[in-house]
Amino acid sequence: MSAKTATRSHSKQPRLLALAVLFLFFQTAALSLANGTRLHSEQLQPDWLVFVPFFVWLGGILALHKAIKRKLPNRDPWIFPTFAALVGWGMLTVWRLSPSLGQKQLGWFLVACVLFWLGLRTNRLSHLLKRYKYVWLLVGLLLIGLTFLVGVNPTGAGPQLWLEAFGFYFQPSEPLKLLMIVYLAAFFADQIKPNITLLGSVFPTLIMIGVAGLLLIGQRDLGTASLFVCLYALMLTVTTQKRRFLLLIPLAGIAAGLIGYFVFDIVRARIDIWLDPWAQASGNAYQLVQAQIAIAAGGLAGTGPGLGSPLFIPVAVSDFIFPAIAEETGLLGSSALILLMMILVIRGISIAQTTKTTFGRYLAFGIAAYLGLQTFFIVAGNLGLIPLTGVTFPFLSYGGSSLVTNLIAVMLLLKISSEQAAEPLPEPVRRPYRWVAAIFLILFTLLIAASSWLAIFQQKDLLAKPENPRWAVYDRYTPRGKILSQSGEELAVTTGEIGSYKREVLMPALSNTIGYTSGLYGQDGLELSQYDWLRGYSGRSYDTLWNYQLFYNQPPPGVDIKLNINAALQNTADTLLGDEKGAIVLVNATTGEIYAMASHPYFDANTLTENWEQLRQDPDAPMVNRTTQAAYPLGTLVNSLGLATYYNQPQSAVNVLPEVAGGQDEFCQAASDAFGEELGGYQSGCEAAAIALVQNLDPIVFLDQLEAFGLFSAPTFSLRTIEPDTKPDPAIFVTKPTSALEIQATPLQMALIAASITNDGLLPSPRLRNTYLSEDGQWTPFREGVLPVRVIESTAMERLRTSLIGNDKAFWFQSGHALTKDGQILTWYIGGTTEDWVATPLAIAVAIESNAPDLAQTIGSSLLSLFGTD
Amino acid sequence: MSATVGLILRVTFLAFLYGFLALAMWMLWRSVVSKQINQGNLAIPGLTLSTKIGTETMVQSFAGTEVLIGRSLDCDFILEDSTVSSRHARLFYNLNQWWFEDLKSTNGSYLDGIRVEEPVVVKENDEFYCGDAIFTISIKPVEQEERRK
Repeated sequence: MSAKTATRSHSKQPRLLALAVLFLFFQTAALSLANGTRLHSEQLQPDWLVFVPFFVWLGGILALHKAIKRKLPNRDPWIFPTFAALVGWGMLTVWRLSPSLGQKQLGWFLVACVLFWLGLRTNRLSHLLKRYKYVWLLVGLLLIGLTFLVGVNPTGAGPQLWLEAFGFYFQPSEPLKLLMIVYLAAFFADQIKPNITLLGSVFPTLIMIGVAGLLLIGQRDLGTASLFVCLYALMLTVTTQKRRFLLLIPLAGIAAGLIGYFVFDIVRARIDIWLDPWAQASGNAYQLVQAQIAIAAGGLAGTGPGLGSPLFIPVAVSDFIFPAIAEETGLLGSSALILLMMILVIRGISIAQTTKTTFGRYLAFGIAAYLGLQTFFIVAGNLGLIPLTGVTFPFLSYGGSSLVTNLIAVMLLLKISSEQAAEPLPEPVRRPYRWVAAIFLILFTLLIAASSWLAIFQQKDLLAKPENPRWAVYDRYTPRGKILSQSGEELAVTTGEIGSYKREVLMPALSNTIGYTSGLYGQDGLELSQYDWLRGYSGRSYDTLWNYQLFYNQPPPGVDIKLNINAALQNTADTLLGDEKGAIVLVNATTGEIYAMASHPYFDANTLTENWEQLRQDPDAPMVNRTTQAAYPLGTLVNSLGLATYYNQPQSAVNVLPEVAGGQDEFCQAASDAFGEELGGYQSGCEAAAIALVQNLDPIVFLDQLEAFGLFSAPTFSLRTIEPDTKPDPAIFVTKPTSALEIQATPLQMALIAASITNDGLLPSPRLRNTYLSEDGQWTPFREGVLPVRVIESTAMERLRTSLIGNDKAFWFQSGHALTKDGQILTWYIGGTTEDWVATPLAIAVAIESNAPDLAQTIGSSLLSLFGTD
Repeated sequence: MSATVGLILRVTFLAFLYGFLALAMWMLWRSVVSKQINQGNLAIPGLTLSTKIGTETMVQSFAGTEVLIGRSLDCDFILEDSTVSSRHARLFYNLNQWWFEDLKSTNGSYLDGIRVEEPVVVKENDEFYCGDAIFTISIKPVEQEERRK
């Protein structure tokens, strides 16, 4: 039997090892081209440095392979190649994530190889391990104890689990895991028949596990402590052949969770994160949330080595190396990783059943169980199946202590595997090994299923989360589409070189509308709402998208879009509003196309980084788009709305409205003065007129009309709009008529209502976007089929326009004012064209945060009449 | 250029990675199957049980790998004895040995005067008690030629 295994080892191991070398070589080669690919480079300029970890790995592995071929001819043929593949993959990934840590990891790998080799040459190694079991364990425990006195944390904060010597950090809990397995295996092997009823025969192990557990709990390393409990339970299961010890695992897990939750802040934080990561996605759960997004970004086949953005996961090299690998190699890669670990675990358990000595059997089983448990702990934690435990991914995670420990563990496994028993074990003894193997099979299948869930089924949702920052990377590597005015003037363009593209807004006064895109501060305005178009996800063919995704992991160059903004009118509006705070919206009354929208004060999207803090803290709120986000009280604009309601009813149903002369209060006097004529009280926005209207109208009818005008609902629009005001109780109009003046509306809403006045009672929906440049070079209209809605009878609007007619018969207008909550005066102006106007029907709303009726009048009439001359 | 070569390298990487897994899995499967074949090919030494009921001697030979002893009708060796449980014990062939296992019977089983708590290996001419019934085991050794097949 042994001769047969020997030949099998010899013939199969090199083939497996060769495949491992090949797949890592091609992965390294792909990684070396990643930068050129990102930059769409035409030349092949590989980054030769990434071959360093590959060749160091290859050298180490070949040397070890030669040594074990000679020393252990009867070894298991799977263990070494699988382990080699995992270690190589890990070193390459660590190097890719951080070349400087990658170098350190190479150093640790070489140290581990030397120890591996020394271990191979020590013939009586297992005898020494078994004989001095208490010595080894005590050394491990003492090292843990030392961390209480001189422990440090390489990052400077957090649990102090490391020891430092000559600039190297060493985590004693890693070797302790192996030492504990050695101890347990040696102890149980000495018992003729371990039996839980004979307390004496397990009591010492209970004490030792307890001491180790307490030390670890004292260091707040609950992850390793729970690992120990699970490992102990599995060891008891196979040594006593009693299934009931398996129950210890879930029980211990729940107990550790509950106790930890109430005693340790770090455990509580981790359990809270696990229960609902999205609740604190930008806080404690940032790492986990980013990990899940990274897995989704990988999808099925991954972004390709070096083409993803796994560095968005903080400290990806250690605890979160699995999602980093999943992003760049996809579900295919991450499943392969789990399967590789699965092979190691299954082979370990199988070695345990065929080895000669009882000590070897328990040791092999312990090592296999430890590798399996630790893999499950970390991957399930990364996937959000269990709370994070802070253990490392065996062979892959960055960390010298872990790497050295795991290499020694593999060396022990190989040694044990070469000492095969002549006769297989009796069936009842083998049975518990099969239970454990089955458990691991189930757990690992669960891991693959959960990865698929995130990478395939949840992919779209996860990638669309605002927490996904990958768009900022795309911004640097592929240009966004241009934003143009209706006649083709450039409003926002992408400048610079590939790899450092920048966005430039060429009409800074329009920054509140165009918005910004910044890796630091996110996106806003049209840059946010039109992301899909500007980024090329919409308006490009499936082939183009697929090609860019497949070759570059980038979206295609974005689609140019034209707005309805008229650059000349926009400039005039901005000039006229000047330093006043306020907003202007000029629309086509029939179609709702927005020709100009100004919001002052404004910010300059090009100098966002320099001024961010100042802009955020500015009490004048320059980053608020007042056209859609300022909730201004209606004030005496109620007059137009009230009059419209009044004219809309059969005259028999309402009282005759009292005549209110202009100049009833200082504001309508000022308005009358500004217009250079004696206006009626309704048109000049006297409060007396507003109150007379509220008192003479049925409050229910009036409120229904205001609702029809869209005051209590946000318009569908390409910019973020403020939450609309709620419809008040009609009774309040009776008890307090002035409450009608406090209803809030945005300048955009008022411009649309003005449009309905011009447009004979048809309320259009606002349209900022005009056309996009399709792939065939045609400017194609956006498909927006929202038709104007009739909100009032056309006769009512005709009568209203007559009441509000201006000096020039081609225009109607109403002036108004309001008192804001903090006692400031707000000037309103709405206006539009009449049937005497021959060109495009227009409507406008102007709001100025001061008492400036003459300015409002100038702005309104200039912009309306300018369009005709344009 | 970079992108095309990169894509080819990526695909090759995944191909070799899964090649590794496929070969490893295939080897695992082969090793499991070959073990089963080995076990299946082995000739089983025939088992003969004899017991005395009163003055009558019952002798029965078995060709299978498992023999169930008890009062129940689904047993392989049925005997009417009130001290024997309905499914009292079983003999099974595993790892080139015949094993005796007590199936948690009421009155227990004894081999060489020691109560059988867990499966034990039995050999030619061993005597065991199931309740009050005494059994003698006879194992027919497999011919060398047969083993070679």
